Amino acid sequence: MTRILTIAHTVWLGTIRKKDIYVLLILLGALLLAMVSLDVFGLGGAVRYVKDLGLLTAWFFSWILAVNISARELPTEETNGTVFPLLAKPITRAELIAGKWLGTWSVAVISTMFFYLLIIAVVKYKGGSFEFIPLAQAIILHSSALSVICAIALAFSTRMNHDAATSITYILTGAAFFIVPRVPEFMARETGFAANMLMLIYNLLPHFEVFDMRKRLVHDFGPATWKIFFIVLCYGALISFTFILISWLAYRNKRFSRGNLI
Amino acid sequence: MDNAIEIRTLSVVFSSNGRPITALDSLNLCVPSGQVFGFIGPNGAGKTTTMHVLLGFIAATAGEARIFNTDVNKSIARQRIGYLPEHPDTYKFLTGRELLVMAGRLFLIRGKQLSDRIDEVLSLVNMQNVSNRKIATYSRGMMQRICLAQALINDPDLVILDEPTGGLDPIGRMEVRRIITDLRARGKTVFFSSHELSEVELVCDHLAILSKGRLIVQGPTSKVVPQGESLEKYFMKAVSNQ
Ligand SMILES: Nc1ncnc2c1ncn2[C@@H]1O[C@H](COP(=O)(O)OP(=O)(O)OP(=O)(O)O)[C@@H](O)[C@H]1O
Ligand SMILES: [Mg+2]
Repeated sequence: MTRILTIAHTVWLGTIRKKDIYVLLILLGALLLAMVSLDVFGLGGAVRYVKDLGLLTAWFFSWILAVNISARELPTEETNGTVFPLLAKPITRAELIAGKWLGTWSVAVISTMFFYLLIIAVVKYKGGSFEFIPLAQAIILHSSALSVICAIALAFSTRMNHDAATSITYILTGAAFFIVPRVPEFMARETGFAANMLMLIYNLLPHFEVFDMRKRLVHDFGPATWKIFFIVLCYGALISFTFILISWLAYRNKRFSRGNLI
Repeated sequence: MDNAIEIRTLSVVFSSNGRPITALDSLNLCVPSGQVFGFIGPNGAGKTTTMHVLLGFIAATAGEARIFNTDVNKSIARQRIGYLPEHPDTYKFLTGRELLVMAGRLFLIRGKQLSDRIDEVLSLVNMQNVSNRKIATYSRGMMQRICLAQALINDPDLVILDEPTGGLDPIGRMEVRRIITDLRARGKTVFFSSHELSEVELVCDHLAILSKGRLIVQGPTSKVVPQGESLEKYFMKAVSNQ
């Protein structure tokens, strides 16, 4: 465990000493402020729209952040040659993978908390508020979705360079986020083989929509039932674990020599 | 006498654009413990490749390698090793001290023991004054020194150094020689590659010459190099006969 935490801690230091998090945070802040002050949509800046857009941008930014930081960890270790002194230590590949995942996921979660704080402040400024329990549930499920995203990015980055792993993770998680929830619509129109294929894809891809409580927050539907909440949490843990396992399998026997990734 | 490193009929073949490149060809090598062992050979001879096999970074195409009688593919084989890579590079966002803390924790050293050990290795490589600076601000030689420090953090019984004096100033070279002889005095084994033949002659008890992936000669320095000849002269002859 010490070794896993040591790796995670190094990921932490590496991420908070680079600029991307701050850039995203400042961008989000600027966007929110622009929304509030300029009334871009001519909607009088109603609290509901601030919430809606704020939460959407929080999801968007945390997605970008999670993919970026977790897809680059392993490939940059390799291109910079820092993987050599690291693997010369008595650390197992499993510990390395676990540490990298823990590090990137926790950074993504903490920054997402900051995003939420910003949104809460702006909503408050607009005279609105969030109910505590649904908000807490939303943040926890959001974090669970980030854990899945980090695990997927890590899995791709074990055998790809930074750019390829980043792009593929964006495509896959983007598709899972935007297309998967609409598959049942397509399915209604198809029959036979096409319908079966769609069904297969539908079941295989991770379902990010189940982690998404934005509608509940925006329309004040109240909390999700605890049973559903825990089922979704378990679902997130299961997919994350699966992808971490895949990462380990892909990395376990990986050999390192010059020019592997270049 | 125990052997710190044992390499038997080790071959490594890389492929580049479909063409095989033989980096090591049936290499046999024994490094006795408690000795300073110089590993020399022209560029591309396979020195770095041999070290990479010893550390489990690449797989042997054939043959086997053992460290203190443990197969090199087991992570526990690295518990008693310190390694300085050929192109030392490390996390530039850390300070020198933070790097050593990280390295020490990976060996499960902690608390006062770790901070004492860090002070010790920092003074060994003469980096106490800059240890709180970001590694990004280090010069090449300082980078080399901090990487050497992290290689020694666990007080290893076997130290594998790939061109430890490359990039160092004359004082730095002398200090590395001193570190190597200190390690020997404490019963440690040092296995290092170098192109500085005068230096090798000065500090090595044993040496091996490698060329094009093949071992040309190995043995005690005094036996390998004929009386009255310099290692450099002998090396030139041996390699050109290949
Ligand atoms: N990843 C790789 N792919 C293809 N060939 C490689 C790879 N790594 C090393 N080689 C080849 O293997 C041979 C041995 O290289 P190695 O780096 O071990 O030499 P070296 O003795 O360390 O040389 P130097 O003194 O220049 O550091 C060289 O011909 C090199 O081109
Ligand atoms: Mg080399």
